[in-house]
Amino acid sequence: MLQCIFLLSDSGEVMLEKQLTGHSVDRSICDWFWDHVISQGDSFKSQPVIASPTHYLFQVVREGITFLACTQVEMPPLMGIEFLCRVSDVLSDYLGGLNEDVIKDNFVIVYELLDEMIDNGFPLTTEANILREMIAPPNIVSKVLSVVTGNSSNVSDTLPGATGSCIPWRAAEPKYANNEVYVDLVEEMDAVINRDGALVKCEVYGEVRVNSHLSGLPDLTLSFANPSILDDVRFHPCVRFRPWESHQVLSFVPPDGEFKLMSYRIKKLKSTPLYVKPQLTSDAGKCRVNVLVGIRNDPGKTIDSITLEFQLPPCILSADLNSNHGTVNILGNKICSWTIGRIPKDKTPSLSGTLLLETELERLHVFPTFRVGFRIMGVALSGLQIDKLDLKTAPSRLYKGFRALTRAGEFEVRS
Amino acid sequence: MAPPAQSQRSPSPSQPSGVLIMVNSKSEVSDLKLQLRQLAGSRAPGVDDSKRELFKKVISYMTIGIDVSSLFGEMVMCSATSDIVLKKMCYLYVGNYAKVNPDLALLTINFLQRDCRDEDPMIRGLALRSLCSLRVANLVEYLVGPLGSGLKDSNSYVRMVAVMGVLKLYHISASTCIDADFPSILKHLMLHDSDTQVVANCLSALQEIWSAEASTSEEASREREALISKPVIYYLLNRIKEFSEWAQCLVLELVTKYVPSDSSEIFDIMNLLEDRLQHANGAVVLATIRVFLQLTLSMTDVHQQVYERIKAPLLTLVSSGSPEQSYAVLSHLHLLVMRAPYVFSSDYKHFYCQYNEPSYVKRLKLEMLTAVANESNTYEIVTELCEYAANVDIPIARESIRAVGKIALQQYDVNAIVDRLLQFLEMEKDYVTAEALVLVKDLLRKYPQWSHDCIAVVGNISSKNVQEPKAKAALIWMLGEYSQDMQDAPYVLESLVENWDEEHSAEVRLHLLTAVMKCFFKRPPETQSALGAALAAGIADFHQDVHDRALFYYRILRYNVSVAERVVNPPKQAVSVFADTQSSEIKDRIFDEFNSLSVLYQKVTTSFSQPFVLLCVTQIIKESRLTDIHKYLQPSYMFTDKEHRGPLEFADELGNLSIGEAANNVVPTQMVEENDKDLLLTTSEKEETKGSRNNGSAYIVPYDGSSTSVFASQTQIESAVSNPTLAGHSPQASFAIDDLLGLGIPAAPAVPSPPQLKLNTKAALDPSTFQQKWRQLPVALSQEISVSPQGVAALTAPQALLRHMQSHSIHCIASGGQSPNFKFFFFAQKFEESSNYLVECVINTSSAKAQVKIKADDQNTSQDFSTLFESALSKFGTS
Repeated sequence: MLQCIFLLSDSGEVMLEKQLTGHSVDRSICDWFWDHVISQGDSFKSQPVIASPTHYLFQVVREGITFLACTQVEMPPLMGIEFLCRVSDVLSDYLGGLNEDVIKDNFVIVYELLDEMIDNGFPLTTEANILREMIAPPNIVSKVLSVVTGNSSNVSDTLPGATGSCIPWRAAEPKYANNEVYVDLVEEMDAVINRDGALVKCEVYGEVRVNSHLSGLPDLTLSFANPSILDDVRFHPCVRFRPWESHQVLSFVPPDGEFKLMSYRIKKLKSTPLYVKPQLTSDAGKCRVNVLVGIRNDPGKTIDSITLEFQLPPCILSADLNSNHGTVNILGNKICSWTIGRIPKDKTPSLSGTLLLETELERLHVFPTFRVGFRIMGVALSGLQIDKLDLKTAPSRLYKGFRALTRAGEFEVRS
Repeated sequence: MAPPAQSQRSPSPSQPSGVLIMVNSKSEVSDLKLQLRQLAGSRAPGVDDSKRELFKKVISYMTIGIDVSSLFGEMVMCSATSDIVLKKMCYLYVGNYAKVNPDLALLTINFLQRDCRDEDPMIRGLALRSLCSLRVANLVEYLVGPLGSGLKDSNSYVRMVAVMGVLKLYHISASTCIDADFPSILKHLMLHDSDTQVVANCLSALQEIWSAEASTSEEASREREALISKPVIYYLLNRIKEFSEWAQCLVLELVTKYVPSDSSEIFDIMNLLEDRLQHANGAVVLATIRVFLQLTLSMTDVHQQVYERIKAPLLTLVSSGSPEQSYAVLSHLHLLVMRAPYVFSSDYKHFYCQYNEPSYVKRLKLEMLTAVANESNTYEIVTELCEYAANVDIPIARESIRAVGKIALQQYDVNAIVDRLLQFLEMEKDYVTAEALVLVKDLLRKYPQWSHDCIAVVGNISSKNVQEPKAKAALIWMLGEYSQDMQDAPYVLESLVENWDEEHSAEVRLHLLTAVMKCFFKRPPETQSALGAALAAGIADFHQDVHDRALFYYRILRYNVSVAERVVNPPKQAVSVFADTQSSEIKDRIFDEFNSLSVLYQKVTTSFSQPFVLLCVTQIIKESRLTDIHKYLQPSYMFTDKEHRGPLEFADELGNLSIGEAANNVVPTQMVEENDKDLLLTTSEKEETKGSRNNGSAYIVPYDGSSTSVFASQTQIESAVSNPTLAGHSPQASFAIDDLLGLGIPAAPAVPSPPQLKLNTKAALDPSTFQQKWRQLPVALSQEISVSPQGVAALTAPQALLRHMQSHSIHCIASGGQSPNFKFFFFAQKFEESSNYLVECVINTSSAKAQVKIKADDQNTSQDFSTLFESALSKFGTS
C-alpha cells in the first residue's frame, strides 16, 4: 500500500507531502527521483513505476505537476497509478485547473482531499461527487457567501450521506427546477497511414459522456441504433450489466453532474475523412517537400480545425516552407505546424518548399511523420447512433439533448 | 485519449524556495509564535479567520520543510475551536510533529479525545483518525477507549475510520491491540456491517494483522486461513458490486488466494465476475483478469478461452487510459503476449508504434511485435518495422532493426527478410549499418545457405565506416569466416591489424585475432604477414583476454598447424537455437507476478524474461571454461619463469587438453564455440569479472636460449614476442619465429606442415597461357584419388568444389560435364614464384573417384603439390 504522496512542481520543489502510514518516507527520496528524472534527459517521459534504492515510486505528471507516491511492498500497479490519476483529476476539478500557484494557494484543501481519498495507504473515496459533499470547493460563491453570512466554515454541515447509501456514486437526492440530461458522443480517430499511402490501422475510441441534472433517483435507459459495431466497452459503475448482456441497452441511475457513462472501441474502420499525401525528394543536399491535404470521404458535416504537424529531422539546417492556404509556422523545437482550418472549395491546400540538409548529407534518411488534427461537429465517424433515452418516471419538464463530435486522436501519416 | 500536455522539467535544485525562506525563518517562526499566543485566548469575532491565516502559514512552512515544531504548544492552545478547517489543519500539524515530540503530544490527547465525542460525526471521525496517527508508543493507552466506541459508532464514517485506527494501533503496539480483542470485533464487523467501506477496511486490516501474527500464534494463522474460506469469499463476492472500486480490488486479490473445490465453483465465480472486466477502473480489470488466469491454471482449454476473453478489455484499456495507465496495462499485455503469442497474432496492429509514444512504450511494443510474428503476418510486421528504421528516434530505429532480425531467426521463410536486411546495409546510416551487420552475422550462423547473397553486400562495406565495436566485430567475424568468398578479406584484415593500437575495443581485437587465423588457413600466403603482425600485437596487448588468446594461437600454431586449423576452423553446424530463446517453463512463472509492480519497473522485464537468466548461465559456463584454459596455460609461463622445464610442461598440458593428435575434437570446438559466442553475447559482464584476474607476475622473462631442444625455440619466441628487438640477436633459434611472425628477417621454410609448398592465394593465369602450357608440359603425375561421399554429395553444385579448392589456393580455370562425370581444370602458383601447377581432374560421382593429371613448371615439387591437392580434395564436403 502507498506510504507517502508528494506533489512536486516543475522545478522539482516539494509542494506538498502527505505521509500515509507509520513508516514515514524521508523527503530525500524526492531528490533521488528528481536526479533520476534529469538523468533521463529530455525524455522525461520516464516510466510510471520506478524502483529506487529504497522504494518503488509511482509517478504521474499532469500540467507540469508530478504526483509521486512511494511504497515498499508489492501492490497492484494500477492501483497506484489509477489512484494518482484520480487525485489529479479531483484536484483539477476542485481547483479549476492544475498549476503550481493554484496548488500552493489551496494546499489546505489538497490536504483535506487527500485525507478523505486515502487512509493508511488504502484508497477510499475518489468520486468527486461525494468528496464535494465533504469538502466544499474553493469557489467564488462560497467565498462570497462566507463574507455575507459570516459563516466562515467552507465545509457543508451535512455528512456525506452517500457513504452509507447503496448507490455510492449518487449524492442524496438533489432537486432541480429544470430537469435536464445531455448525452455526448465524443470519438477520437486513431489512424496510421504508411509510406506507401496504405491505411495500416484505423480505429475509433469513443466515450459517451452524460451531463445529468435530474431530481430524485432517476432511472435511465439509453439504447443505440447499431450496438453491434462496438468491439469492446467499459462502463461507469452505475451501468447495470444484465440489460447490456441481454439487449445491449444501458440501464443506469446516473451520478449527478457530468460523468463518463461508457467508453468503447471500434476497430478496423475502412477509411479516413481526410487524405494527406506527403512527397519528399532529396537531391544534392536539398529536400523538396510537397504535402497535399484534401477530403477523401465527405462525412456530411464540415471538417474544421485541420492542422498538420511534423518534426523536422535533426539533420536539417534550415527550412523554407509555404502553403497556398492557411499558415505555416516553424516552432523553436523544429516542429513545423501548418494550420489549415477548413478546406476551401476552390483549391486543394498544399504545403511546399525545401529543406536544406547538413553539409555532408546528400539525401535525407530520416523521414518525418505527419500528425494530423481535425474536428467534425455533429458526426460520430464510427457510425454509432443513439436510438433513444428514456426516463422511468419522467418528471413534468424534462429536457434531453444529444450531440456528437469526432476529432483526430493519434492520426499519423508517415513519409 | 490524448496525453496531457507536459511541460519541460528544469534541472534546478529541488528546494529553491526553502533555501530562501530558511534565512528568515528563525525570526518568522518566533513572530508566528507570538501571534498565535495572542490569538489563543481570544474570543473576538473573526478570530477564526486570523487563526486560519496563521495556521496556513505554519503548515506552508511545514510543507516546504522548515521546522516549526517549536510552535507545538501554541498550536494546541489555538485548537480549541469549532471551525472544522482549523481543526483539520491542526490535526495535520499535530500528526506531523507528534512523533518527534512525544511529550508535547500528550497535550493534544485531551482535545482530541474531547473531539472524539463531538456530536458531528465528521469531527468524531477526523479526531479519531488524528489520534491514531500520532503514533507515539507511550500514548496507546489513550487510544483504546475512543477506538472501542468508534467501532460501535452509529455513523459509518466513524466506524470506517476506527477500523483503520485499529490497524494503526496494531502497528504502534501489537499487544495492546490484541489484548483489547480488537481483531475479533473487526471480524464481526466485516461479516455484519452494512457499510461496504467498513467491511473493506476490516478486511484489509485483518489481513495485515493476522498475517503478522500468524508466525507466533496458531489461532491467528487459523483466522488468516478462515479469511479465504468459502463462506467469507462467497459473502464478499455476492456483495462485490456494492464495494467501492478500490475495495473491489482488495476482494479480488483475496479471491486469487481461494482454491475452489470443483470446476462448477470456478465457473460460478467467473460468471459472477465477468462484468468486472468492463469496469472503468483499470485496477479492477487487471485484478479480475488475475483471478481468471489463476482459477483456470489447471484447466488448459478454459485457460485458452480466458485468454480470448481478456484480450479485448486489455486492448481497450491500453488505448483508452492516460499514458501511465496504458503503460502499466501494456506491460501486463506484454507478459501475456510472451506467454501465448498465438492468441494475439491477429491483433498485431495494436502493437504498432505511434509517433508520440515514449520510447519505453515503443520498446515493449517492438518486443510484442516480434513475439506475435508468424507465417501469416510476418510480411506486414516486417514492413512496419522497416518503417521505424528511418525513425527520428535512433534507439528505436536500432531496436526495430534488431526486431526484424529476431523475426528472421524465428521464421523458416527468411527470403524477404534477408532482402530487407541487405537494404538496411545500403541505407548509408552508420547506426543502421551497424545493427544490420550484427544481424546478418547472426543470420549467417543460422542460415549458412544465405552466405552468398549476404557476403556480396557485406563485401562492399568499408570497414572504415563501421565504428561500433559490436558491428565491427561482426564484420571481422564475417571477413574471417568467409575470407574465401571475399576477394580482399586478407587485405582488409591486414589494414585492420595495422591499426591495432587505435582499436579500443578488446572485443574487436579478439575477433580480429580469430579472423586473421581463420583467414590464414584459407588463404595462407596473403594473410601470413597480417597473422604475424596480429599475433605480435596481440601478445603485446595489455588486455588479458587478447593477450591470452594471441599466445594460445601462437603456441598451438607452433605445436601443430593442422591441429591449429582444426581448432580455428572446425566444421561448423548451423546454429539452430540461440541461447536467448525463451523456454516456456520460466514464462509460466509470470503468473505469480501478474498484477504486481515487478511487471512494471524496468529491471524486471529482464529478470523475468529468460534471456537474462540463460545469459548468466552461459556466461558462467563460459567463464569456467575460460578459467580452465587459463589454468592450462598458466603453468607454462610460470615454469619458464622459474625453471627450464616450462615448454615441456606446456606440451604436457596441451596433452591434457587433448589437443594431441588422437582425440582432438573436444576442446578445440569448444574454443571455437567460444569465439562465436563472443559475438552473440556481450562481453561487458565478462570483462568485469576478468578485470580482476591478473596474473601479476612477469610471466614472460627473456630466456637465455642455449638449449638445443625444439622447445627452446618456444621460449625464445616468447622472448622475441615480448621484446621484438631481441629477435635479431638470437639467430640460433629464430628461424621459426621469423616466418611465423613475419618480423622482417628473410628466412627459410615455412610452417612445419604443410611443409614444403606454399601456394599463392592470388594466383592469376589467363586461359590462353593455360592452354599453351598444358600443351607444352609433360604429365608429371597421374593418379586416382577417391572422393569422400560427402564430397560427392556436395558436387551436385560444382561451384562448391571450385570455392573449396580456391580456399586451398587452387584455382579453377575451366569446368564442365554432366553427372556422373565432371571435368575440371585447375591451376596453382607457388608462393612468391611464378612456378605454375596445372591440373586436369575428372571426377566420377558414381564411383567416387577422381582421375588427376598434374603438370608442373617445376617438376621437383610436383609430388608435394599432388599431396596438397589430394588433401584439399579429400577435405571437400567434410568442411
